[in-house]
Amino acid sequence: MTLRGMRRLEARRQMEESNFLLSKARSQNLNPPVDFRLLDYVTAYDDNLMCAICRCPFVDPVVLAECDHYFCRDCIRQSWGSTYSPSGPRGDCPQCRTPARLGTRSATSKILVNILDDLLVKCPKHEEGCPVSVKRGEVEDHMNIYCGYAYQECAGERCELPVRRKDADQGCLHFGVSCFDCHETMQKSTLENHWRSECAVRRVTCPRCNMHVLSKDLDSHNSETCEAVSIPCPGASIGCTSRSKRSQAQTHAKSCTFAKLAPVISSQKSRMDEQEAAQKLLSRKLEVLETGFGVMQGILYPKVSVEADDLAADESRIPFLDNSASERTLPPHHPRMFSGDSSGNALSPFDFPVPPTSRPSSAAPGVARRASPIGLPPSESAAALRQHDPIEAYNTNYDLASPGLPPPSTSGGPYVSPLHHLLSMHESLRDEMSRVNSALQELDGRHSMQTLNENLRTREEISYLGAQLAGLSRQVHWLTSTQLQRQSRSATPSAVAGSSSEMAGTSVEAAVNAVSTAATALRGAARMVSVGQGQSSSGSHGPMRRENSAEGRTKL
Amino acid sequence: MAGMSGKRLQKELAKIQGVLPPGITLVSAPDLQTWHMDLRILDNPLYPPHDHYRLKFSFSKNYPIEAPEVVFLRLTTDPRRDIPIHPHIYSNGIICLDLLDAQGWSPVHNVESICISIQSMLASNTKDERPPGDAEFVRSNRARPRDINFLYHDPSV
Ligand SMILES: [Zn+2]
Ligand SMILES: [Zn+2]
Ligand SMILES: [Zn+2]
Ligand SMILES: [Zn+2]
Ligand SMILES: [Zn+2]
Ligand SMILES: [Zn+2]
Ligand SMILES: [Zn+2]
Repeated sequence: MTLRGMRRLEARRQMEESNFLLSKARSQNLNPPVDFRLLDYVTAYDDNLMCAICRCPFVDPVVLAECDHYFCRDCIRQSWGSTYSPSGPRGDCPQCRTPARLGTRSATSKILVNILDDLLVKCPKHEEGCPVSVKRGEVEDHMNIYCGYAYQECAGERCELPVRRKDADQGCLHFGVSCFDCHETMQKSTLENHWRSECAVRRVTCPRCNMHVLSKDLDSHNSETCEAVSIPCPGASIGCTSRSKRSQAQTHAKSCTFAKLAPVISSQKSRMDEQEAAQKLLSRKLEVLETGFGVMQGILYPKVSVEADDLAADESRIPFLDNSASERTLPPHHPRMFSGDSSGNALSPFDFPVPPTSRPSSAAPGVARRASPIGLPPSESAAALRQHDPIEAYNTNYDLASPGLPPPSTSGGPYVSPLHHLLSMHESLRDEMSRVNSALQELDGRHSMQTLNENLRTREEISYLGAQLAGLSRQVHWLTSTQLQRQSRSATPSAVAGSSSEMAGTSVEAAVNAVSTAATALRGAARMVSVGQGQSSSGSHGPMRRENSAEGRTKL
Repeated sequence: MAGMSGKRLQKELAKIQGVLPPGITLVSAPDLQTWHMDLRILDNPLYPPHDHYRLKFSFSKNYPIEAPEVVFLRLTTDPRRDIPIHPHIYSNGIICLDLLDAQGWSPVHNVESICISIQSMLASNTKDERPPGDAEFVRSNRARPRDINFLYHDPSV
């Protein structure tokens, strides 16, 4: 049942189509088919109704099933011209480059077609004189049935030449005449058109001002120069409702305040439009910059909160930071850059080399929200976060940590789109990152050199002390042996001598004791140095180190 | 077909005589076949912001189905115009841009979008050099730009 119904419908549709094609073919002989894409529209139409290819309201619109883009049927066929395949037209969507094929006719919405058909257009013959405006859907009917300027077959006997519909009842006009004025010969049927647009001699009297004007200039006379046509005051756009004959327009304009103000106001308006456009561009740029800044801060924050306690406790780092900063000839405002953030902690550049993966990623959106200063919606910041991949974003830290390097050139002139802007910002951040990376490596090298130097010096000192100690103990030995010899030589003679020798013996013993204490102290120092050597990479803060680091730093 | 091209160009011209993006100006469109545009690069030290570059558009009757031919012009009389240095712009003004050849072209492009593309291609350039083999190409090439098969040796630029 439904199948039969479908078939019947299909058959009827085909018949209608063939009838239509037949009638079209008949009228085509005299009137070429109307190309809807060449029509002039009377009223403004919505941009959404415009085909991206021909920039007219859609003509027989089709939708590409794959991407939902609409085009005129002819437009899309022409742009796919070379990729026409037997299974139907296919190709890439001109707008989004999705591979696509033509959707079925039923897929285009009836509402769209109705809206398009209701648009008012000028008759295609308006340049030849037809004053009619019709709905676009009725243009063909107008041309085929009503338009006085469309052609039809001449009614004259044995004459098959075309004649304008309005002249059809005047009998056959296909006989030679010559223009009264320029004496050019032509057929009667074309005489009117000759006067209208060609004849360089014929003059007519303007019905309004009685002036003699060239016939072909009558249209422009009416619209531009005719003294009798009433025109609106120049101040009409800002409120004057007066209309006056062109001849009196001058006198009115002289007395009309609106007319005097109009040029000033219009120039102001154009300047304001200009400013507004510029401002829009700037605010767009600002937005992009803010988002980028928010991302940077968002990555800066989690580390601050994690390491804040360690930093605050470890004061010895701060002088170290100041020192290294001044030696790298950073601008004086450098420390302030760190105090500027809300936690108020000084960040040493050495605190950053945490692998990016260790950053708590769940904290990032929340931080970004906190960091975006001027009410950017959180979703936007989060989106911006997503646009930077974590490694790139992570490296933006170095921009803050090493402001001595040139700032990224992202604050430049207008960009075509925020995407362009982001891309260029991305590029400059990448450059910045490699610069900072190499700076960091250099710094690392210097640091290990410094540790090495310190240890070398300490070792030298120890060996020097050891040598001195050896000399001392040699002296003590010599003293002891001479004392003993002297003792054995004068052992017998007197008790006084004996008591004196006893006193000498105790003094020697005291000297030996002192030497051994010194040796112990030296051993202790040596141990400490070896411990310091082991810890130097993680930074030990023994008295020895603090003493030597003053020298070490000058080398850094 | 010719009608459609003319109609579309008329519309584009009407639009272009209104507001254009910064740095792009219409110089002249004596007929609908040939247009001249001036380009300024606002954001690249390689191209001083007060230097203008002259683009010549030539439209075939198949526009916009077919891409227009777009080249830079060198003018030696006032106003002087030079051909910007870029690794994809030959010193005879021929531009190697995928948008402008048969494969890369799409009829939804227009004069304004082409100008913007060329402008951003220049704005993002960092190399102060001509394409490799420029001298040889300029000496030997007699083909029209659209018939040249460029190798897009470096799609990132
Ligand atoms: Zn179209
Ligand atoms: Zn699409
Ligand atoms: Zn009509
Ligand atoms: Zn006749
Ligand atoms: Zn005449
Ligand atoms: Zn008049
Ligand atoms: Zn007035």
